Amino acid sequence: MTGGRRAGGQPGGRAGAVLVRGSLLLWFLLPLVPLVLWAAAERWSAPAVLPQRWGTAGWSAAAEAGAAPAFARSLLLGAAVAAIATPAGALAARALAHGLVHRSRLVSALLLAPVALPPFAVVMGLNVLLLRARVPALVGVVAVLVVAALPYTTYVLRVAYAGYDTSYEEEARLLGATPRAVWWRVRLPLLAPALAGAAFLAFLVGWSDYIVTVLIGGGRLVTYPLLIASAASGVGNEAVVAVLSLTSLLPPLALLLLAGASGLRGRGGRGRPSPAAAAAPAREVVVR
Amino acid sequence: MTRTPQRPRTQPGGPRTGSGRARRALRVPAAPVLLAAVLALSACAAPDVEADEPLGDWSQIQEEARGQTVSLWMWGGDPQGNAYVDDVLAPAAAELGVTLRRVPVADTKEALNRILAERQAGRTDGEVDLVWVNGENFRTGRQAGAWRCGWTSALPNAEYLDPGDPLLGKDFGTDVDGCEAPWHKAQFTLVYDSAKVPEPPTTFEGVLDWAEANPGRFTYPAPPDFTGSVFVRQALYSVSGGHEDVPLQFDQDAYDRLTPPLWERLRELAPSLWREGRTYPRDSTALDELYAGGEVDMTMTYGPATLTSLVEKGTFPATTRVLPLEEGTVGNASFLAIPATSPDPEGAMVVANLAMSPEQQAAKAHPDVWGQFTVLDEQRLDPGQRAAFEALPDSPVVPPYPVLARGANPELAAAWVPAIDEGWRRNVLAAAR
Repeated sequence: MTGGRRAGGQPGGRAGAVLVRGSLLLWFLLPLVPLVLWAAAERWSAPAVLPQRWGTAGWSAAAEAGAAPAFARSLLLGAAVAAIATPAGALAARALAHGLVHRSRLVSALLLAPVALPPFAVVMGLNVLLLRARVPALVGVVAVLVVAALPYTTYVLRVAYAGYDTSYEEEARLLGATPRAVWWRVRLPLLAPALAGAAFLAFLVGWSDYIVTVLIGGGRLVTYPLLIASAASGVGNEAVVAVLSLTSLLPPLALLLLAGASGLRGRGGRGRPSPAAAAAPAREVVVR
Repeated sequence: MTRTPQRPRTQPGGPRTGSGRARRALRVPAAPVLLAAVLALSACAAPDVEADEPLGDWSQIQEEARGQTVSLWMWGGDPQGNAYVDDVLAPAAAELGVTLRRVPVADTKEALNRILAERQAGRTDGEVDLVWVNGENFRTGRQAGAWRCGWTSALPNAEYLDPGDPLLGKDFGTDVDGCEAPWHKAQFTLVYDSAKVPEPPTTFEGVLDWAEANPGRFTYPAPPDFTGSVFVRQALYSVSGGHEDVPLQFDQDAYDRLTPPLWERLRELAPSLWREGRTYPRDSTALDELYAGGEVDMTMTYGPATLTSLVEKGTFPATTRVLPLEEGTVGNASFLAIPATSPDPEGAMVVANLAMSPEQQAAKAHPDVWGQFTVLDEQRLDPGQRAAFEALPDSPVVPPYPVLARGANPELAAAWVPAIDEGWRRNVLAAAR
């Protein structure tokens, strides 16, 4: 964040910014407090303000419920969705940004449609088709989630491509770089922050999905959200649900830090409005 | 805990919308070839799944079952139930050469949705081999031909069941017809905090009177929540003069005759409820939380087996007790059903038979394991088998099943349930707004 530096001249504005940021932070962290407490509680019955007995029962119950393999499955699913939806989104974004498609508005609307459609209705309909076409369950899950992730990756990368200055590539070519070298050493580094942001969003789609995994996956893939949802549907499972929910924050958080770091790197050095700015909408979407 | 039956929010015909959309999309001039292919795929009729094919004798079934993997879809909100299946039932199945895989779901209707989609697509190599089910989900599945039928009499352990047991012959009024094998019994139970209610009422009407004498200390979950819905059915029995006076099969005349006094009574009760009856807990979990937080003095459950562990964990106060009613309460059973689309029916039958064995039923009935009531008729067990049930420890909270189920009331047919739920919404909830 560079806002603080910019606002440095006006003390009033600075205090305001701190206040806004502080309350935002509070807004995000407060809901986590009971989760953290529950994760370390063995017994916490109302009206006690704090747990009466601390312990790791929630953790062992989560492990017994198969949290570790489910975590690994969810990581793989998120990674698979990101690995396909990011390059696919990049292709779509490039074509749209450079006006390579006719009726680009219609195409954009189609690409964004999965965000607007209720996933349950779509999945109920698609499932029969996929079953009839004998698409293997796991392939079906990844395919449907990739379509669900495409609006995000396309949007993020389209913004990046719109602000992408091709003269850097031309300059490199003039200096004798091969097309391959231009791709690797100019285009990819310039787009890296946006790609990271897009991949992060696509990962989240796979990481957090419930309905597609359960219905199209046919129970083959017992992922983290399946465990959380089934545990949360019972009474007295607060500790397990808290442990699962808290640990489910770790991969997105780690990736966010990674993406943030690469975004800052992209922003530094070159001293020009860089495609790094494209990563910004990504964060807004996540926050929502 | 038998929270399994839940009214499916989607209609069985739901999956059709997909092909409908594809057809409309085809009118767009630029419709790609892909959509045409999709249309062709969705147009071919689903062949009938032959669900009732003979399966041979038991030794043949056992032989076929060896090496099969059975996916058991079950509501996963009860850690004790999950642990029982993973740590007790699955190892026992492995000894018979069957791999048992548990698929946890937040709601049983997700399993049904999957089966109906497979059925519509004409698949017989589905992903669901066994489902923990009863009530509305079972009925919906039967109407859609989703279950394999006529197999339960082939199970050797069926000899321990009482063929005249009304809870096992009909599942919420729907004939079982060998389409599902009994697994547990459950009893609708009112629960109170003996520290706050020193002299508990003994009849259902007494409970309502107590609620009126102690304003704000009682409420019930809003139907169509499963538990709230059974509370209202229990109230219907009570105001109608007993369950004998309510026909189990739904008919509109009986509904029109019996329900006005019920709505009258519940409207009269409403101002004495928690928050003056202007709002109701949205589900039984919410009511349990109110009870755990001391905001009300009574709660209710269709799965009293879990009360012991809820008290041990400290979720519920130590003074929690079950409230027996003189006229008895509604009881039901829950079952294991094999979908018609299962590719491993033999393995599923072996697991269902195992789950019904006296050893497994006794192990499962232990409060430290799961505490689910047995479906077996203890009279049909040999002394050694009976001893396993007699050795079960007494719970300080929950009396043994025979005491709990004394004078058990039958469940109304599944068709009553949505009618009463809707009637409650119009006549009780709407009146409070």
